[in-house]
Amino acid sequence: MTRIAFDIPQLETDRIIMRAPREDDIEHELDFYATDASRFVGGPLRADEVWRQQSVIMGHWQMRGYGYWALDCKESGAYLGRVGLWNPLGWPEPEVGWTLMPAAHGKGYATEAALAARSHAYDVLGWDTAVSLIAPGNAPSQAVARRLGASVDYMYQHPRFGEVEIWRHPAQDAVAAGRDA
Amino acid sequence: MLTNAPTLETERLILRGPHHDDAEPLMDFLCDLDRAKGFGAYDNRSDAWRWFALNIGHWHLHGYGYLTIEDKATGKAAGITGIWNPHGWPEPELGWAVFDGFEGKGIAYEAALRAREWAYDPEGLGMQTLTSNIVPGNERSIALAERLGAWFERKYENVYMGEDLLYRHPGPAVLDADGSVEAYA
Repeated sequence: MTRIAFDIPQLETDRIIMRAPREDDIEHELDFYATDASRFVGGPLRADEVWRQQSVIMGHWQMRGYGYWALDCKESGAYLGRVGLWNPLGWPEPEVGWTLMPAAHGKGYATEAALAARSHAYDVLGWDTAVSLIAPGNAPSQAVARRLGASVDYMYQHPRFGEVEIWRHPAQDAVAAGRDA
Repeated sequence: MLTNAPTLETERLILRGPHHDDAEPLMDFLCDLDRAKGFGAYDNRSDAWRWFALNIGHWHLHGYGYLTIEDKATGKAAGITGIWNPHGWPEPELGWAVFDGFEGKGIAYEAALRAREWAYDPEGLGMQTLTSNIVPGNERSIALAERLGAWFERKYENVYMGEDLLYRHPGPAVLDADGSVEAYA
């Protein structure tokens, strides 16, 4: 039995390849979700939970036609983490999300990839707006949202993660105007 | 297509990969705390949706997963059966669940038998053995496992279900030699 070929678009930024998630990404995510660094994104998680999370991410692509990309550093080939578009049943709104490996923090990778993901949402998928769910106190993620031009719109009670901030991204027109300016 | 699942057929049923339209009846089942207790029930549709996506991802990671059982007579989704082996499972298992309104007609037996045949078929998954994991007290599932020729092998601790009974199915060689499962029934 051959495994299905993903029909997932590959995106490229200056420094990053954004590609379909693969089974061997799980070992990297396992390292991350084993540590307290994952506390803002639902962690720590057991190995079986990380496997299921990767599986749900793959299923989400097929269900929605978009999802989380896996990020590889062009220069080193290193796995950087996940950035993408997320909207499982019950989500408050379609989201631009990011979770990076600790070693990939502080280099602007999340911003760079999230910009490409957001452009894909606006230009290819036709989204009118986008949000990001961020746990209060997740300062690095808040900084990424700010750099993307987003601001806190409202608070949301997430059934599993508790209270989260909903950051609203600038709409496509505003993004395009900024690009032209 | 959400998966590359094959389409299998029995007298009354079509077994096929999950479709978008299968999400609602599947979520209805998973959120039915009584009916899905032995399978792994959810108290909200968001988590049930994630299970639906999980199954699709499982197909992508393993090349197999749960098939939708479609009732030929009504065209409705009557349940699911297939091979399940997420991380942490002791071995690939033959699983089944029948939805509300389709019980008591032998649908689970007919479907699971066909799914097992596919799992053992060298042209299918080519597996050499299969188990079924059943929570203690699920007499209905135990009866079906035994009707399929499976026997109790051991208890183990399932991370999601707690104490679980592992039933072992006859392997492909045994079934081939016998020609049918009826010798066990």
